[in-house]
Amino acid sequence: MKRANNFIERSLMGALSFLKESIFADELAARPGFLQSLDPHVKAITMFSFIIIVLFAKSMLLVMYLYVQCLLLALCSKIRLGFFLKRTWIFMPLFALFIAVPAIFSVFTPGEPLFRFQVSGIAFIITRQGISGAGLFVSRVITSVSYATLLSLTTKHFVLLKVLRVFKIPQVFVMVIGMCYRYIYLFMEIVENTYLAIKSRAGVIIRYRHGQHIVAWNIAQLWQRSYQLNEDVYSAMRSRGYSGEPVILNGVKTGKRDWFWLCYALTLVIGAVYFTYWRR
Amino acid sequence: MHIPDGYLGPATCGVFYALMLPIWGFASNTVKKTLKARQVPLLAIGAAFSFVIMMLNVPIPGGTTGHAVGAVLVAILLGPWAACIAVTVALVVQALLFGDGGITAIGANCFNMAFIEVFAGYYLYRVISGSSPITSNRRVIAAGIAGYVALNIAAFTTAVMFGVQPLLHTTPQGQALYCPYGLNVAIPAMVGEHMLIFGWVEAVVTALVVKYLQKQDPSLLAAGEGVAA
Repeated sequence: MKRANNFIERSLMGALSFLKESIFADELAARPGFLQSLDPHVKAITMFSFIIIVLFAKSMLLVMYLYVQCLLLALCSKIRLGFFLKRTWIFMPLFALFIAVPAIFSVFTPGEPLFRFQVSGIAFIITRQGISGAGLFVSRVITSVSYATLLSLTTKHFVLLKVLRVFKIPQVFVMVIGMCYRYIYLFMEIVENTYLAIKSRAGVIIRYRHGQHIVAWNIAQLWQRSYQLNEDVYSAMRSRGYSGEPVILNGVKTGKRDWFWLCYALTLVIGAVYFTYWRR
Repeated sequence: MHIPDGYLGPATCGVFYALMLPIWGFASNTVKKTLKARQVPLLAIGAAFSFVIMMLNVPIPGGTTGHAVGAVLVAILLGPWAACIAVTVALVVQALLFGDGGITAIGANCFNMAFIEVFAGYYLYRVISGSSPITSNRRVIAAGIAGYVALNIAAFTTAVMFGVQPLLHTTPQGQALYCPYGLNVAIPAMVGEHMLIFGWVEAVVTALVVKYLQKQDPSLLAAGEGVAA
């Protein structure tokens, strides 16, 4: 059976979108907005705190408050709302919405009936518990995704990876993560060039089985090339002073604005814990 | 298979972070002992390689997303402990920079893909391969079977994580707070689609890459066995 070589197009699009995303994120992170002006350590701690509050929240009101706050933060950080909504709603939250829909029916979530209807003689009952459970689930997913996206959009990627040190992650991990990020660029370029070359030679139609072989051959080639690269990279590290123990540079200072923001986030965490667990 | 934020409750997220901490610590120590200093960049290369394999995402019902994970392949090439670190790093980069997989679910995602899948796949590959030569067809078959089985085991553990949420986190009124489906829905949905579709993708990719490396540079396959603890 012959099929159009969609996998080539998809791989090319994946590689291109990765490179585009990285460059675009760095451009947004350089804009003079509120979140961009914060110390990345403080920003990461507060954003992770908000994601954790969302995780623990049992009230839709609290989750919605955090979502609105996230949208306001995006606006204050010179990110267009349309772009941000498109970026955060496509894929994960839409998929969450898709899988949450069956949960509103009594088959999956029994409870107090809200609506009843019949389709081809089969009765469907939508329950109050189903609606509120699905609503909370989707809003939790979208709010968490929004904060994670906001953090990655307003922080240069390599800075964000270095920030992990604040969470006491061993330096070797942070170094490997930083190096991995640079390699991803290289690999994406290799993938893009290879697939472009294949596309120009194979045309638009390619056999399904042959397509599988092409993908596997590419992965094998990629590994072979990267393994050979290892020696060169190690020599480059040695020439820059690497002696077996990684050292990561850090030159960020925490200012007044950062402390205010940290205090606000802390207050919100305490308020959320009170609201969720102690207020009855 | 990447679990986003909001699907798992705090208890599940916390338990899997706690489970992964000693595994990451042990993996880090083992890799320090077995990898030579000049092989350190190999970890980053392995992580980037793992990231590239995992890039193509397809939405799937019942779980979250599906794609060839490549964890078994990385384990065959680097050894299981180094693969554990490599896949972890790839998952962290995906979660932090690209929103693929949740930040609070990193522990759970790493447990499924960087631990369960890596170790189940690697040891299954070793058992089936036995003492056969690096270039034998038995190793190609072993890689395919290991890829298929390990991915399905990881899909099963992911499904169990989803399925226990209504048992752990439901309000007295019966409202689910996290993933709303129990084990009776989550397991057939996740395992079914992985057994029917994604497991085969993983098997074909893993087997064919091993086959190509056997032809091109068999020493790369031997290297993975050399660094296994």
